[in-house]
Amino acid sequence: MKPKFRGLLGAALLAAGFSFAGRQVVRASEPPAKIALTGARVIPVAGEEMDSATILIEHGRITAVGKDVKVPFDAMEIDCSGKVIMPGLIEPQSWRGLDVPNETLPVAPFLDVADAMDPSRLYFEDALRDGITTIHVIQADNTVIGGLSRAVRSIGLTPDEMAVATNIALKLSVTPRSGWDRMQQMATFRETFRELEEYIGNLAEQKYEESLSKQNKKVDVGPAEARERGRKLITDADYDDQHRNLMRLKRGDLIAWINVGAAMDVAPALKLATEHGFFEKAVFALGSETFKAIGELKKAGRPVVLPEDLFHRERDSVTGEIRETFIPAKIHEAGLMFALQPNPNSSMAERYLTYQAALCVRHGIPRQTALEAITLNAAKMMGLGDRFGSIEAGKVANLTVYSGDPLDFNSWVEQVYIDGILAYDRSDDPRLEELLRLEGVAKKADEAKRKAAEEAKKESAPPAEEGAKPKPTEEAKPAEGAPPAENARPRRGTGGGR
Amino acid sequence: MNRLGNQSPQERTECTQGESEMRVNCGQRSMCMNQRSGPALLCLLSLFAAICFPHLAVAQEISAYRVGKIITMNEKDEVINNAVLIVRDGKIAEIGKASQVQIPEGAEVIEMSQCWLVPGFVELHNHSAGASTDLHDYVYLTNPDLRTLESVNPGTENFKLARAGGVTSALLISGSGTNMSGLGTVIKFAEGQMDDVVLKFPGSIKIAQAGNPERYWYRVGRSFMNYNTRQTLAAAQKYHRAWLDFESGKSTEQPLFDPIYDPFRDLFRGKFIASMHTQQFQVVMMSILMIQGEFGIKTVLDHSTFDGYKNAPTLHDHKDIVTIVGPRQLYFDPTQRRIFGIAQRWWQGAVRTLGINTDSPVIPQEELSYQAAMACYYGWRTYEAIRGLTRIGAEALLLEDRIGSLSPGKDADFCIWSGDPIDPRSVCWITVIDGKVVRDARNELRRF
Repeated sequence: MKPKFRGLLGAALLAAGFSFAGRQVVRASEPPAKIALTGARVIPVAGEEMDSATILIEHGRITAVGKDVKVPFDAMEIDCSGKVIMPGLIEPQSWRGLDVPNETLPVAPFLDVADAMDPSRLYFEDALRDGITTIHVIQADNTVIGGLSRAVRSIGLTPDEMAVATNIALKLSVTPRSGWDRMQQMATFRETFRELEEYIGNLAEQKYEESLSKQNKKVDVGPAEARERGRKLITDADYDDQHRNLMRLKRGDLIAWINVGAAMDVAPALKLATEHGFFEKAVFALGSETFKAIGELKKAGRPVVLPEDLFHRERDSVTGEIRETFIPAKIHEAGLMFALQPNPNSSMAERYLTYQAALCVRHGIPRQTALEAITLNAAKMMGLGDRFGSIEAGKVANLTVYSGDPLDFNSWVEQVYIDGILAYDRSDDPRLEELLRLEGVAKKADEAKRKAAEEAKKESAPPAEEGAKPKPTEEAKPAEGAPPAENARPRRGTGGGR
Repeated sequence: MNRLGNQSPQERTECTQGESEMRVNCGQRSMCMNQRSGPALLCLLSLFAAICFPHLAVAQEISAYRVGKIITMNEKDEVINNAVLIVRDGKIAEIGKASQVQIPEGAEVIEMSQCWLVPGFVELHNHSAGASTDLHDYVYLTNPDLRTLESVNPGTENFKLARAGGVTSALLISGSGTNMSGLGTVIKFAEGQMDDVVLKFPGSIKIAQAGNPERYWYRVGRSFMNYNTRQTLAAAQKYHRAWLDFESGKSTEQPLFDPIYDPFRDLFRGKFIASMHTQQFQVVMMSILMIQGEFGIKTVLDHSTFDGYKNAPTLHDHKDIVTIVGPRQLYFDPTQRRIFGIAQRWWQGAVRTLGINTDSPVIPQEELSYQAAMACYYGWRTYEAIRGLTRIGAEALLLEDRIGSLSPGKDADFCIWSGDPIDPRSVCWITVIDGKVVRDARNELRRF
């Protein structure tokens, strides 16, 4: 950010929030009336990449993108030349804004993540720092049927301020919850939906009776017929929370976000979805080895969320050899739409969505596909593809400004715009500053140590040798983990830039 | 007459039974007395008591306190130097400058001309005025039917500690082991029996949204706990609305009387409060959004510690919320590596209905003023701290017309301090409740 804009933007865009402790919980403010980001290379994800293009944003919406877009006289121009602008990244599923991944109740579709979401979690601040603007907050997999999910932006003081869409999906897990086996898991699904039918039947009968008694009539038909007639009289308000949400799932008003942790779970998951009418609304969240059922998954053709660790590893029990499979390659081969997740369990680069996408590119997946997997696809899976995930006129102005190519690991997230609000600015990130300062201190200490060791060596070594053999400098040293032997795949990035 | 507020008929009978004993024992005023025979009986018994137990008889009718300073905490925030306060029949009769107030003849004069006279402190979060074993009843996850009134235990050692610390009233609430642990009782740390100490019931409903109740069953999470608490409150609200409809003639169907939810009608009428066991950002946020926001209940944020203060902007969108800080007064922010005074943080967030609590006996009741002193050490203001300990508490309990400040007509509940009560060097010399000296440190060896 150029200095001349900083004051203006700071005042106009950043809300008056509490910035003195913990995560900066920023109160969501009104988006600025009209801003134009000019001069940047724009990766719209939908459509061709453009050099030195202009993005015009009005009241939090993108109104124009292109090389020939004229900046209106009343727009505040923000010079982004030399930068690269991407749609804000989207995390397809995460429970990390919640207190616990799951409740102990196996069947709890009446719950809503809003009751457990903590906007002060550092996780949301980190998301901004990593360029993530939209997160699908949903309960984890240790369940049979979990609660309602919602999509949030990474700013806001309350779950409602953060929400961009509520009541998105119900979490269903075909893979058994801990301590259960598969038969019990599936039996619980059967019982839940059987009970739903019974509940609705009773409710329908009751509604029919009520409607008749209002006209001072008595039930004139048998129970089966009464139930049939009463069904039409039920409104959403008549259900209790549990049955209402299950009904919405069956009606297709909610997405079935189905955890399929193993290949053997694919078939039961497909059966479940087909039987209860939410196949067309199903998204499958895959486990590490689920890709082995690629035939079934391909036939189903439903979108999938890939596991956090993109490699599936198997050890040969005889030779001890580890065989690795890069999961996205298999999924891409089958032509399925997929979304990537960051891997928070990794202290290394897999923690970043852009790195996950870069891994895909390294393994031969087209760049465009990889970019869609961290933006547009997740939006589409949530049913929000018309609002998020790409830079197009009419979409919400969620943008991440990079210092270079997003898939290049030397690039920084410079700014993040959410609804056109400047939500993150690297030049105003005290925590990052502190981290880098400490890194600087450590580097200096290392340097001093090295020098001292050299001095000591010099003193003890015979003078004749000096200068004969040049010492390798820091720069000349090969980076840690650089590609060594044949067949071995470089496992991790150097983590340099970040 | 009925100091216990609305109760089920069954309870009232129990009270009456307890009463007859009381009358014989000490001749105090009775709350459940028969209208006709009451006054005559009272006179007779008072006479009897005055003869047999002179030290237990009603305090001398008129007393005058001549002090160096009176912090009135009234609407005008008056501080009167070289002042006199006159007590008549347990109530404040007059208050003013010594040069202007005529001390009535026959009044007992207490001369403490170097001292401060301060309203008795009101503790909004107390567990120690009852039987200690009755703090938690883990029956269900929400227990709207439990009542601390049944665990009030007048005359325990904790009563003495409270008086010693200048605390004259407290809200006795049950613990935070479940999401809703029962109805609280406002008590005075007076001498005597139940009817002398119980000031208001129900005083509050105790709700804990997180930070203890998750231990219930095989652990529960916040999405379930909040859902469940909402269900209980919604059931109570539904009951209240059904009665409202019946009473206003909207509906002809008289709802069935429900002893569990009936006391909650006053909660929705705004006649008592929700005591929220709430701390940390998310939990305080849910207290504000759910209890006040969704149900419109008058809410006291008990504890409100850790980084809860970051909710100040949200709090401003809601009314009827009182924040009381404690027993923690400090928050170490690991991300900034700094210690913050929590009260100061709330104050900086423009929260003005701010108080302090001890969670007694977590912090002993007599250390309420130390809690405030610590809050001030970390940046809060002394006068505001005194207000937080007195008037704010009384307002939160909706008892501001009786306690928490000093003006004619209010209860004579006050303390005489050697100086500023927020200064830890100060001593609370005399504690007066309902005009009666309940502790005089000049006669005791222990000082607090």
